Amino acid sequence: MKAPSAPELTELLGPGAVLPSTDALPVRVHPSSVEQVSALLALANSRGWVVLPQGGGTKAGWGGGTGICDLVLEMTGLNQLVEHEPGDLICVAGAGMRLGRLQEIVSRAPGYQQRLMLDAPQGSRATLGGLVATRASGPLRTRYGTMRDLLLGAQFVLADGTIARTGGKVVKNVAGYDLDKLLVGSNGSLAVLVEVALRLHPVPSGRASVVLAHATPQRAASFLAALRRVPAVPSIAEVLWPERTVLVQLESSPEGAERQAELVAAIDPEARQLDDAEWEHWHRTLSSRPWEGDGVVAGLALPLSRIPNLLFLAEQMDQKGVDFSLSLRGTVGVGEIRLPSVEGTVRGFREALESMDGELEIHRGSGVVGQMGSTLSDPISRTLSAAVKRALDPRGTLAPWRVTEPSPFSSGAADGPDCG
Amino acid sequence: MPVMVELQSGPEMKVETLVKRLREEVGAEWVLTSPSDLRTYECDGLTGWRQAPIAVVLPATTDEVSRVLALCHLLGVPFVARGSGTGLSGGALPVEDGIVIGLSRMRSILSVDLENERVVVQPGVPNLQVTQAVQAAGYFYAPDPSSQRVCSIGGNVAENSGGAHCLKYGFTTNHVTAATLVLSDGRVAHLGSQCPDSPGLDLLGVLIGSEGTLGVVTEVTLRIVRSPERIQTLLAAFDSTDGAGQAVAAIIAAGIVPAAMEMMDRATIEAVEATMHAGYPNCGAALLVELDGPAPECESLFQEVSALCQRVGATEVRVAADERERALLWKGRRGAFSAMGRVSPDYYVQDGVVPRSRLAEVLAGIGQLEAKHGLRVANVFHAGDGNLHPLILYDRRSPGGAGRARELAEDILGLCLAAGGSLTGEHGVGRDKVCQMPRLFSVSDQEVMCRVRTAFDPSGLANPGKLLPTPRLCGEHPGIYRPHPIELAGQAERL
Repeated sequence: MKAPSAPELTELLGPGAVLPSTDALPVRVHPSSVEQVSALLALANSRGWVVLPQGGGTKAGWGGGTGICDLVLEMTGLNQLVEHEPGDLICVAGAGMRLGRLQEIVSRAPGYQQRLMLDAPQGSRATLGGLVATRASGPLRTRYGTMRDLLLGAQFVLADGTIARTGGKVVKNVAGYDLDKLLVGSNGSLAVLVEVALRLHPVPSGRASVVLAHATPQRAASFLAALRRVPAVPSIAEVLWPERTVLVQLESSPEGAERQAELVAAIDPEARQLDDAEWEHWHRTLSSRPWEGDGVVAGLALPLSRIPNLLFLAEQMDQKGVDFSLSLRGTVGVGEIRLPSVEGTVRGFREALESMDGELEIHRGSGVVGQMGSTLSDPISRTLSAAVKRALDPRGTLAPWRVTEPSPFSSGAADGPDCG
Repeated sequence: MPVMVELQSGPEMKVETLVKRLREEVGAEWVLTSPSDLRTYECDGLTGWRQAPIAVVLPATTDEVSRVLALCHLLGVPFVARGSGTGLSGGALPVEDGIVIGLSRMRSILSVDLENERVVVQPGVPNLQVTQAVQAAGYFYAPDPSSQRVCSIGGNVAENSGGAHCLKYGFTTNHVTAATLVLSDGRVAHLGSQCPDSPGLDLLGVLIGSEGTLGVVTEVTLRIVRSPERIQTLLAAFDSTDGAGQAVAAIIAAGIVPAAMEMMDRATIEAVEATMHAGYPNCGAALLVELDGPAPECESLFQEVSALCQRVGATEVRVAADERERALLWKGRRGAFSAMGRVSPDYYVQDGVVPRSRLAEVLAGIGQLEAKHGLRVANVFHAGDGNLHPLILYDRRSPGGAGRARELAEDILGLCLAAGGSLTGEHGVGRDKVCQMPRLFSVSDQEVMCRVRTAFDPSGLANPGKLLPTPRLCGEHPGIYRPHPIELAGQAERL
């Protein structure tokens, strides 16, 4: 295999597309068109180079980390708005557009208040393609779901350079296979996203919020169970530990939000409504919270009935002096945890979560412990995943280490240049 | 353990071997072969396409399905899974020389777990039974196709079914968290889990809406939703579909997402009134809007919707005062298709989708097509999400009637696609639209889908001839043929 060289790539793409690099490998390229992405991938595929597509670089450690590669495709050049139709609540944009930029564009439509309802960590710098590839989400996951629920269609390039589309730009569409779903959470291992069509939501006109502070695990769990039964539809219901706090946001018509907040606050005598300033204080920290500080960060999911077990475990960890922070969407059963980079601690948490029928995916800090989930543990699902990877990328050109082989206690990368 | 079969020569011998072995696997009484029994299975809700299978097998367990598929794999026999047969795209149309796997015996609700908001069902369970099993506890299963009393969850998974309320609540794909899938060689995969956002490739997401082409689903885990505190429904009358369309645009612009928003044109209203006397006003278009949610939110938004309808020129706004009146308002909408069956000898339902903002122009275009083809079209559709259901009225006994209806239906799809829409919003591609796929998807797009299909079903035995066009069904691909890199490398042949 002949390694990629800057002059050869410059000849293919034109001046300016190959980024200066101090190291020989990996070469970083910055394509600005779908055709360039296709040409690059076709060349890489024929030469046997390993390629890592990258968006804003904010979640490079997700899906098995950065691994060993020859070429990094920086996708931020494909950042054009294709269409924003506020009357249809949709927008179409280059996959390299940053979320912050998209929100700016869609919020400017006169006569409409709408937004992409996704508040993933470091979201404003993250690209749309990266958010699709990682399926990252934040507190708003409670009401609006992940990219799985927001992506309507995509254009993508396969490892061999094939340019293809799936889905469309209408909210209801069952023509052909739903390959959108396959791309969401595939961590760049199946195709390089170049354009995405997304569903927007109206921004409700009213907002109110409630806090339950200084809660015991039992009290927080009871509060969440009751929250699922009262006639309120929270957009955020976030449990924070070791802060022992539950934060609930209600968005609706102004009177609707106020009335729902009263119902939620009435669940527990210790719960109370927050004023705007207090809410802003909490909200600023919410989505970035587990990412601040050192250590391993993992996404986790568990059945709703096991939330009390998780909170008891968190309380025990705090009492033992473990430095961690847990953010949990308390009416859904998904969240993130930051743990110290100590193999025994991570392993212990993983085993405890497994006993709660939970699932885990490391987002930061490779070399400690791998992913855990039913798709990964079911042998036929694993075989199918590998077959899908082979079907779309037979030569293993695109981030091959990110395919779904479970790696219980191994690090992704061995030696060689790191793509991060 | 490998299954040993004496492979005999000749198609009759193969059928005999197959039937004998099937009877051994599931019991003789559950393998149907008599022509009168097979007739029931020769079409689904799209009755224009008919094909008798060589046999119908009615397995009762995942294990039996697995053994039946292993046998099909060994003998190279194609199979078509079938739920209740209510599909409208010929997705359950049998294939020649193939068997039908009827899932009607697998109709148990296996578990109801309210604490985790999950219900596990077998594929033959009718959609409505899921809601019935949990509604006393204050939950419901959100996807609600019009055929929900009859249509099965397995069929819903195959078609990614929607329904009138999917505008707010989403489709089947948003409400399934796990499924047991028997692959075409008999292996059994467990996709997804009861947790949300399961790590790894979202194979379940591809399975849902795959129209039976990736295998047979034998168990499904559903997510149930809290029943809303309040439901409010109104029917607004307008002079024309244009006026009703303006109301739809105004509601969306106001940031309101109704639970359902359905439009009916004059032809539909007349047919509904003539046959079921729902008490609809005599008008050019009716808009049925339903809001649900916490009571204070529902009530304030309902006032707003009502005012918006009046502002854009509603001649009448009728509010359902109670559950009985609500049922009456819905009666006409839910019964619209069958009403057409009574006012016209035959009708064909189209299922195109258009961006909401292009509704008015597409409806005007449909009006022009009616004149051009000399056929009447009644429009009844999900206005909130742009999913049109034009009912093309024709008489198959009149010379060229069916042909003209088909041409008109295809022209309507052309309007939808030109407006940036889709071939199908909820009925699926099936056999009906398989040859229309190239109008929406390029050769490359289809080729990628084909690669995914082959990853699940290398043998091509799962519902062949559905969803993706083949030269045998549709002629050669239109446009200029360019060989694919994989093909050039000798790793694949042209499809």
